[in-house]
Amino acid sequence: MTIATLTKPWEAFSYGFLDASAKRELRRRMLKAIAVPGCQMPYASREVPMARGWGTGGLQVTLTLLKPSSVVKVIDQGADDSVNAASIRSFLSKVSGAAETWDTLAATLIQSRHRIPEERLRADQVLVLQVPNPEPLRPVEPNMSVARQMHADADYGRLWLILYEQIVRSGRIMQGASYPALVNGRHVMTPSPIPRWDLPKLHMAQHLTFLSAGREKRLYAVPPFTRVDPLVFSDVPYKVEDHAALTCHRSGVTGYFMNEIPQGSGGSVFELSDSHLGIKVIRRAKGEDVALGATWYENGKMPQ
Amino acid sequence: MAYVATRGGERAIEQSERLYRAELGQIDAARIQALREALPMLIDRVMGEASLYEPDLAALALAQAGGDLYEAVLLLRAWRTTQPRLAVAAPVLQEQLFTHRRISAAFKNIPGGQILGPSLDYSHRLLATGVLQGRPFEPAPVEPAADPAPARQPSLAAWQKAQGLVADPPRAEVAPDDIPDLTREPLLFPAARAHTLQSLARADTGGMLALGYSAMRGYGNTHPTVNELRLAEAEVRVRHPRGTEFSAGRVKVSQAEVISKGKSGLLELGFCATLGWNEVKVISGATLDLNAPGAAKGSPVEEEFFLYHTEPVEASGFCIHFKLPHYVTFQSSLDALRGAKAAAVPAPEPEEVTA
Repeated sequence: MTIATLTKPWEAFSYGFLDASAKRELRRRMLKAIAVPGCQMPYASREVPMARGWGTGGLQVTLTLLKPSSVVKVIDQGADDSVNAASIRSFLSKVSGAAETWDTLAATLIQSRHRIPEERLRADQVLVLQVPNPEPLRPVEPNMSVARQMHADADYGRLWLILYEQIVRSGRIMQGASYPALVNGRHVMTPSPIPRWDLPKLHMAQHLTFLSAGREKRLYAVPPFTRVDPLVFSDVPYKVEDHAALTCHRSGVTGYFMNEIPQGSGGSVFELSDSHLGIKVIRRAKGEDVALGATWYENGKMPQ
Repeated sequence: MAYVATRGGERAIEQSERLYRAELGQIDAARIQALREALPMLIDRVMGEASLYEPDLAALALAQAGGDLYEAVLLLRAWRTTQPRLAVAAPVLQEQLFTHRRISAAFKNIPGGQILGPSLDYSHRLLATGVLQGRPFEPAPVEPAADPAPARQPSLAAWQKAQGLVADPPRAEVAPDDIPDLTREPLLFPAARAHTLQSLARADTGGMLALGYSAMRGYGNTHPTVNELRLAEAEVRVRHPRGTEFSAGRVKVSQAEVISKGKSGLLELGFCATLGWNEVKVISGATLDLNAPGAAKGSPVEEEFFLYHTEPVEASGFCIHFKLPHYVTFQSSLDALRGAKAAAVPAPEPEEVTA
């Protein structure tokens, strides 16, 4: 036996970019996050070759989960061809050998910023959401140590209060995206800035969701079949965006979350935010053999 | 026409990067060498913020980023984090430092003497415009002192401790591998002392100056006096697996102690050290450290506030992330806004008053 047989040739970085010690730490935190749904787990958060705030938290979780047989989809605002999504996807495949896809049905691992695909995710898929601010209490308590204590005490009164004040001031809850939700009846989490439309998709879902904030060094999870209840008052029901009746001007599809495109002539047209679902619908209309998955929303409504 | 004609995004980002790099041109070993020689203070600043002491890599990062400091620091940090942690160097005591410059504003003279060393403090800030007209600027040669100061200088704080002016807590003996390492663990509050000092050491110089200056101007609790400012070289002593201790070389370090009369009736010290020579950074950092005990939550001199907000990679990254599309979140807010507008009861028409 020689030393050469015991060592590997020098490489500039490890498989999947992160070194073994970083992956070990992440895996431990991820397991703990699954064990305590919705509870934020601090982690070291290594620097990665992308700027903080550009998906470095999601990236670290994805890099830890990747293997050569993975099929990875990356979306930003619902679109696969968005510049940062394209950049992250090509980095992921470059450092891991994983296959790239735009198709939600084909993906084993989906990293996303601000959207959950419209097609239902399965038990064999993992969703990784990029999180800018992991702290739902930030609007009422910017200090992280104090907020941590409030989570420990399940002290969420001030969050309820701002929702109540919005109703008093504006006649409705004004929270846009990042709607706070109680996970497994214990921890309030921010679901990352996904629209309210997407939040019910996390409730009792078949798939595992990781939410990871690289800059803020916190990750948390929604395991499969876990309750995710938006904070609402019993007499004021949860309201998703009023998009159920909008029709995509390209694919002709109705009943999903849309992007509004202002028109020079005044008014707006709408297009599907889940861009690849739109592509598949158009290709199917042209007679191609394209598989469309079951969607969470049916006829613009989420079945209870 | 398909929904998305081409993979427009991928082509666009590739060409955008090419456009940036075309401006910088070819990067070769000579450019790295020239940067190292011409800009040692900048190299030091980048090495400190990256917490990676390697002047060649720092010069390379600066060359690749075209001088964008935050980009250069990120390049180095992303490289650093993939490298194995081979050994933990022996602690360095102040009196062991190979000292180039050491001054105190607290006393006219101090044991060991005031050593100005290299400094522009008393230079007249005049541009050498002759250079642009073809007359190279040749610095006047240094005249060596007849009686050179010893390279190793005592610590002023040690004298103050002996006088009973400064509290002298017992030194905590921690095994090298048990020293908390900020690059391998999250920063939590109240922070471990090691985490605080590591975090200050790699903080953003400009950010630390802004917050430190706010404390100096009056938003802090105490006024700092520079007890001791030191620019030095530190020997990096590591242990070979066979047990022999040896020097792996020297690194340039700066450190500052600022002092103020504490509530305890003793003098209180604030401390900051960093890799490379960077006086503004360590004086600002030590001022923040001095002001931190007992600071109100949310004040700029509170530890959580200044450590989070002077992290250069995090702060700069989050700032530039606002360039990313946010149209889904915007759409969501717009929906709430329109919903509230539609539901609002129109205000009653004011009754006309007839005179």
